[in-house]
Amino acid sequence: MKGTWFKAVVFALVMLLGLGVAQKLTFWHYWDGANGQALQALIERYQKDNPGVSIEAVFVPGSELLTKLQTAITARQTPTMAISDLVAMPLLTRSGALAPLDDYIRQGTLNLADYFAGPLVYGVFQGRRYSLPVSASNLGLFWNKNLFRQAGLDPNRPPRNWDELLSFARQIKERTGKWGIELFTQGGEGTTWQTQVYFWGAGAEFLNANNTAPAFNSAQGVRALQFLVDLVQKEKVATVAPWGLFGRGEAAMVMDGSWMTQFFPQQVNFELGAAAFPFAPGGRAATNMGGEQVFIFQSSEAATVRAAWNFIQWFSSTPVQVEWNRNTGFLPVRRSVASDPAYRAWVGNARPLMRPFVDSMAVARPRPPVTRYPQISDIFARYVQEALLGRLSPQDALNRAAQEITPLLR
Amino acid sequence: MNGVRRLRASSEQPHRGRTPSEWGPALIFLLPSIAVLGTFNFYPALYSLYLSLFEWNGLNPQRTFVGLENYARLIGSGEFWNALRVTLVYAAGVTLTALLLGVGVAVLLNQPIRGRAFYRVLYFLPVITPTVATGVVWKYLFDPTQGVINRGLGGVGIVGPSWLSDPAWALAAVILVGIWKRVGFNMVVYLAALQSIPKTYYEAAAIDGASPWQQFRYITLPLLAPTTFFLVVTALIDAFQVFDLVYVMTAGGPLTATDVMGYYLYRYGFRYSELGFASAIAYVMFALIFVVTVLQFRFSRGGGQVDR
Amino acid sequence: MGVDRLIAKWKVGLRLSVVHLLLMAGAFLSAMPFLWMLTTSLKPEPALYQPPLLLPTHFEWENYVKAWAAAPFPRFFLNSTIMTAGIVLAQTLLSAMAGYAFARMRFPGRDVLFFLVLGTMMIPFPVTLIPSFLVVNWLGWIDTYNALIIPRAVSAFAIFLFRQYFLTIPRELEEAAWIDGAGRFTLFFRIILPLSTPVIAASAIFSFLFAWNDFLWPLLVTNSTEMRTVQVGLAMFQGQYGVFWTLLTAAATIVTLPAIVAFLAAQKQFIAGITNTGLKD
Repeated sequence: MKGTWFKAVVFALVMLLGLGVAQKLTFWHYWDGANGQALQALIERYQKDNPGVSIEAVFVPGSELLTKLQTAITARQTPTMAISDLVAMPLLTRSGALAPLDDYIRQGTLNLADYFAGPLVYGVFQGRRYSLPVSASNLGLFWNKNLFRQAGLDPNRPPRNWDELLSFARQIKERTGKWGIELFTQGGEGTTWQTQVYFWGAGAEFLNANNTAPAFNSAQGVRALQFLVDLVQKEKVATVAPWGLFGRGEAAMVMDGSWMTQFFPQQVNFELGAAAFPFAPGGRAATNMGGEQVFIFQSSEAATVRAAWNFIQWFSSTPVQVEWNRNTGFLPVRRSVASDPAYRAWVGNARPLMRPFVDSMAVARPRPPVTRYPQISDIFARYVQEALLGRLSPQDALNRAAQEITPLLR
Repeated sequence: MNGVRRLRASSEQPHRGRTPSEWGPALIFLLPSIAVLGTFNFYPALYSLYLSLFEWNGLNPQRTFVGLENYARLIGSGEFWNALRVTLVYAAGVTLTALLLGVGVAVLLNQPIRGRAFYRVLYFLPVITPTVATGVVWKYLFDPTQGVINRGLGGVGIVGPSWLSDPAWALAAVILVGIWKRVGFNMVVYLAALQSIPKTYYEAAAIDGASPWQQFRYITLPLLAPTTFFLVVTALIDAFQVFDLVYVMTAGGPLTATDVMGYYLYRYGFRYSELGFASAIAYVMFALIFVVTVLQFRFSRGGGQVDR
Repeated sequence: MGVDRLIAKWKVGLRLSVVHLLLMAGAFLSAMPFLWMLTTSLKPEPALYQPPLLLPTHFEWENYVKAWAAAPFPRFFLNSTIMTAGIVLAQTLLSAMAGYAFARMRFPGRDVLFFLVLGTMMIPFPVTLIPSFLVVNWLGWIDTYNALIIPRAVSAFAIFLFRQYFLTIPRELEEAAWIDGAGRFTLFFRIILPLSTPVIAASAIFSFLFAWNDFLWPLLVTNSTEMRTVQVGLAMFQGQYGVFWTLLTAAATIVTLPAIVAFLAAQKQFIAGITNTGLKD
């Protein structure tokens, strides 16, 4: 009897508090610097327009976010919502700790068809969607116009395919003594995700269609890796060295991320150009894609999940995303943002270097959403290194990589 | 050499007479430490021993019991043996060199020479310097074309390797930085220990006509033995777990040239989210270090004379 | 006689200057990364791709202002100070006591216990993270100073350091008092501890560095920005996408300064110790 009474009183109190006091949400993210400030500004505006909700954004360094989420999930101390690098999404969706979003999406105002196809590959498990993309980045070509000029090349004309890439690189090596192009040779995901762009550009696939077996050791894959090995071993227009040659003016071209349109201009002392990354003759335009996804944790309080969803829906709406992308330099995840006149005008005026990256979103491909991707990526990168160092032929390197990776895809 | 003889008498002979067991005072002296270590070290360690019998990614609600399979997989993997080999080379390369340099610097900086405090700070800076800065600068020093090291070698007609990108040289480079970081640490511990040597020993030896080298050899070194023992044991424990330097300089590469145990563990525990397997790695590491440490205690008869 | 003395003086002088030359070379090598950090923090931004160690052409003090404003550093410093003070005090006192028991007392199971203590240093930290976190969570300490301090209040490393140091202290020093009937507490607090300032200083500086530089544990057991420490603040400058090196090095310099001050204070103690006690022949 007493227990029932007690529960009723507590229940009444909770209801009163719930009506009177703001709904408190916590949001873990790793957006530092200007990105973090942009998020905070949006949150403050949202809180002003929605007096019933208060959102505490907590910064967690990106490299530790997954560990932090592991402990939080194990101890049931999760925040209301969080973001993650898309590569970790397959692990997170299988944790059983995330709230499925399908019902909210169906009843809400977001149109999934407006999203670029690439990022939407993540966040789905057993037919249900647990996360939405909120930011994107991709890879493109940067070139050093000063070195192009010195080498007698048109400084405003980037290479359009691999043949041109090679002939430009040769001319630069010949005339200036500098490296034609810098490759990321330090291994790990840095090597893998750059190499994937060459593979896709040659028409190769990384894994098979349902992500159950490696596909990179195809004829097209071997051709792509052979091209990279030739740049180093045969043509000697690239080298196996620590990253940073391009920034110091020691290499004329480099593949790097859209975010560098923000950093390079402040850090290098030469004139920069940026373009979509060239692909193999007879291949296809392709780039790799990064970014973050947002998700909500399951909670016994349906109202909390609902309140978090309302914020995410607002945050993902086209006008807010236009502002978000302008303030952060992240690439749009929605077509309506990429084609928004105000956004395009901003890119044209304030960030001309970024235009090729925005346009490349249409051909940006996701890395396979498999749980063991980080390990697969390390193995793949190690065999790319073996080939670049001339210790294995491209065919052997890729076959051995495939052999080690196959059991991880079961 | 009265001083030397006296010293032998005081620290190498067993205590006069057997002291009675003192479990009462010992309990009071040890209880707080045991309570904290028990709760926050022993228990978690046993828990992770238990986890090493499972396949678990740290996120899934289900853990799959696999028995000793993680250990079998470990022993059967080339990666493990490579990591063990790399770690042993690293430990061997760093421990002794840093010990000798450390005791040398400490003895010098224990003399009343000008600028002593200043030198002490500078030699300790590697221990204090944030790892990011350490990584950036050493990577630059090792740069194949721009770096000071290869320019210096070029000056004497040697074409230096591309250190951190060359599987044959990367580990040597990491060892060099490991020594660089360890010397200051050893210096501080030695400096503290040098203060416990009574001046009277040196005075007596000087009266007996002992040279500075003899004094160092027959007074300083033997009296520093427990400290040296401490430094060797902890250096090996730290070297077995080295991670930071590898993380900022080479990320275990090129290929697997610098994939030390600490980095191998990090890859599986943090990057690949294989917590069960990572726990198995940790326990194999533990077993190895433990055996090495026990052997050191055996070899040095307890690392200094305790009452029996 | 005058000439002899002159030659002797000259010889000493030469030896000293050679020693200084060697010491200076080593000191420069040791200080290089730190100097790079310092000079970079005072440069304008295109710093990364300049050759390091060059003096800045003009001083960008603005970097420090910007770095300080980029994170709630006053609060982070307060938290780090409380956490570090707690850990240093607890580790020094408790480890000295335990080290003394292991060095001088005789009781059953001593060696086994000592190896268990040492064993805790040999378990790689990453695999005990989740279980340690679960304990702290079970105690309800998440987001409190308890979680930052108590699990690290004892250090096996310091216990071992103290034990080894106590073994170097001649036993005669205690024996007189022992015979006069002094108990273990008196011996420890009145005789041993006063003789141990150098090792207390050494242990304290290591405890300080451990606590002040610790990053992962404080990050895991705190959830609110108000409870975060300086190292988390520093991590905000190592961006996911790119790094502004001038700001990162400015922040790193600010965060490292207390460690240098702590070391300066500690190293002063490496001149006293037993040397000054009237140990009788």
